[in-house]
Amino acid sequence: MNSNQRFLKQAQTILKKQFGHEQFRPGQEEIILNVLNGKDVFAMMPTGSGKSLCYQIPGYLLQGTVLIISPLLSLMEDQVHALRLTGEKNVRTLNGLMHPLERSRVLRNLRSLRFLYLSPEMLRAPAVMKALSKITIALFVVDEAHCVSQWGHDFRPDYMHLADIRAQLGQPPCLAVTATADEHVRHDVVRSLNLTHPAQIIMSVDRKNIAIIVQKTANQEEKTERLFHLLEKAPYPGIIYCASRDWTERLAEQAKQKLGLRTAFYHGGMASIDRRKIQNQFLDNQIDLLCCTNAFGMGINKPDIRLIVHFHFPSSMNAYLQEIGRASRDGKQGLAVLFYTKSDEQLPEGFIDGNFPSDETLRRVLLQLDQGTRSLADKNEFMNVLMEEGVSETAARFLFEHASEKPMQQTYSSLLDPCRMRIKERVAVQVNDLSIMKNYLETSSCRRRFYLQVYHEKLQEKPAYCCDRCRIPLSELMQKIPKKKRTEPLRLMDWKQKLAALFQESERSPL
Amino acid sequence: MYQDVLLLYLIQKFCGERTCSGIYHLLKGKKSSQSVQDSYLFHVAPFFHSCSELSRSYFDTRIGHLQRAQLIRSIDANCTRFVLTENGVKQLDVFPKSRLIPDGLQIIDQINEEGRFWLKLQLLVQTVSALCQGQSTFLPVVRQPEISEHVRKLILSGLPTRDQLGRIVFNELYQLFLTMPDGEANSLSALLSGWKASGLTLDQMAEVSGKDTLECSILFKSALRRMMHLFVESPDQFPFLSRLLIGRQSSLSKTAETTRKLLQTGLTLHDIANERHLAVSTIEDHLVELTLKKVNHWLPDYLSAACEQRIMNVAGLLKTRQLKPIKNHLGEHVSYFQIRLALAKNAVSGRKVVRTNEQ
Repeated sequence: MNSNQRFLKQAQTILKKQFGHEQFRPGQEEIILNVLNGKDVFAMMPTGSGKSLCYQIPGYLLQGTVLIISPLLSLMEDQVHALRLTGEKNVRTLNGLMHPLERSRVLRNLRSLRFLYLSPEMLRAPAVMKALSKITIALFVVDEAHCVSQWGHDFRPDYMHLADIRAQLGQPPCLAVTATADEHVRHDVVRSLNLTHPAQIIMSVDRKNIAIIVQKTANQEEKTERLFHLLEKAPYPGIIYCASRDWTERLAEQAKQKLGLRTAFYHGGMASIDRRKIQNQFLDNQIDLLCCTNAFGMGINKPDIRLIVHFHFPSSMNAYLQEIGRASRDGKQGLAVLFYTKSDEQLPEGFIDGNFPSDETLRRVLLQLDQGTRSLADKNEFMNVLMEEGVSETAARFLFEHASEKPMQQTYSSLLDPCRMRIKERVAVQVNDLSIMKNYLETSSCRRRFYLQVYHEKLQEKPAYCCDRCRIPLSELMQKIPKKKRTEPLRLMDWKQKLAALFQESERSPL
Repeated sequence: MYQDVLLLYLIQKFCGERTCSGIYHLLKGKKSSQSVQDSYLFHVAPFFHSCSELSRSYFDTRIGHLQRAQLIRSIDANCTRFVLTENGVKQLDVFPKSRLIPDGLQIIDQINEEGRFWLKLQLLVQTVSALCQGQSTFLPVVRQPEISEHVRKLILSGLPTRDQLGRIVFNELYQLFLTMPDGEANSLSALLSGWKASGLTLDQMAEVSGKDTLECSILFKSALRRMMHLFVESPDQFPFLSRLLIGRQSSLSKTAETTRKLLQTGLTLHDIANERHLAVSTIEDHLVELTLKKVNHWLPDYLSAACEQRIMNVAGLLKTRQLKPIKNHLGEHVSYFQIRLALAKNAVSGRKVVRTNEQ
């Protein structure tokens, strides 16, 4: 048996024993083998194709700790949760929102960890670097690696320092993973992370088990009508993406009234506890149909969502594929339907502007930083104050990250022109993304072929249930999608029943 | 139904002397000195922080509804201040007081701990629910580091042991709920999350209970305040859960408490402002808060008896609790700060400024 065969065998054992899967999914084997051989790897895998297993399995076979750098807190927490569900106890996170005591506990016990998830800014804290330099790092994983590229959609300045940090930690092998990256971005990632002769494993962004329908309607009324027509026979659980909070509430209410479905809405305007309650209800199969804005879904791992509806179209192909990619992660048949009408076209343009600070805000904030009437000392405080002033979250983050990069000897106001430049570049990228999305809606040829082309891929093999342009037999398709019993209607338990359910006790008085 | 009467009640209490926003901030529990003071000045302290989830747009919709139904009418050009119409008064009068203000709502001695306590309780229950069903991981509904740290300490303190935890939390909650009206116990328990038993949101509770969201919120707050009260009064009966409240037991805000301690060392208002790098007006707010909570032992240093008398006479004469008219009448002799102190002192001493009734 050569070493690769041996690695493969070990990996398969872990896959089965630890994660309960019989087989690898496409791409996983190749990535894992390269990682186990100590090579740098760049991997592009679509959402929902099992990216995380590619570094989790090596975690059980390599000496030392696997570091996973991830830009999103919620993503990190969900990953840790998922690992714990498999019985793994040696997994922790380090992020800026932790309690200082918790952080120092993690740092003290680094050596015992198999997996450590970190936000990139943590790696710039000297105490963290000092502790990390004392342990063996098995693998340096950069999740959402496209954030390192200024051409990417989510450029994060903190990611620019990762190459240096990896060098300081003794240049452990690096696995850079992302769901979507065009060639430009891929090139950027390899260069910025200083990957040496990396194995590049590029998986197709296509999700063959998701049938795609795009429907143009004459106006909003017709759109709503068509939606409810669909919902009458649609498979559940499902998600409806809307562009505004109002719409999520309105559609949830209408679907409840008209169809007797158990529905809920989810958007950024809700209290965070309510958002988590709704999310947990959805994961626990207590909701048939969730109407939400794009605030929902990051890190959500529910394999049996059957239907994704876009009631308004997203602002890029990237976002669209991410969102429809949440359907049927278990590999069974799923359905994605997008409705649009002419007047929807103004919506995303507004969002693009909202993603960046206005020129007035930019100038004012930089000036206030120079005058000391605003401070970067506490990121949350900085963000919250701006958001209360009506600046969007993404724009507030933009300001924080760019202001934090100020060289010592300069004033904040000197950043004005570079920031303006950056905004201009990024708006241009986003406007371009939007126009591709619009072309997709209007295309008269195969939808799948179109979006694959955007990622420079060719459609190799057309699935039986492809898209509206390929005339999928709708009623036949509906038969193919697994059906689920509708959720019981929501009810109010009395307190005795509720306590019994919470603690698995009998409802009778404990005395 | 309930929500309309609640708003009518508060509008009546505010006598048109504050804008609608004042009422909204009261219900939300805005931590500004103005909102805290108003809650005492207008004798509506039980409603402070009673509907902390209320959204501004929903509030405005309800006010609009009351206006269209001619239960209230505006008394200024901008339509921001309102008084009740005759119909409004009638509606309010026929509504049972005990339903409008459940008893528990009036227990406000722990008001500053309320938010934090509720977060801790939710996280504790969710954790213990998962633990006693053999789960080592769950998605917590509360993710504030400070709260997690506290709950973690409590659970790891070793008393009770892990296998007893479920039983003990269950028993203590059971005993607690027995002491309160079922409607309140049902409301609070419905909001709690556990393993495979996610809590409802207030909106969901309203949907299934047939009550409106504000009533659900008030019932829940009443239950919560009863619970906190019992923990403070009889911790021996609830040896485990009452530890959620250990720590500060003061109705003062944290920052006013700091100012109080500095006053005790003999510093003056200006000294404290310097020492704490805060504006003088902020420290003044603290002194007003101390007055409202009846712990301002330094009041005579800032407000003489004669001055207080003059202010209260004018307030009585003008039938108002608005600062500006009083100040205009008294001119340079008194400061806004002194007027606020006088009004605060008299709000809690029970001496009421004559009600305006602009019918």
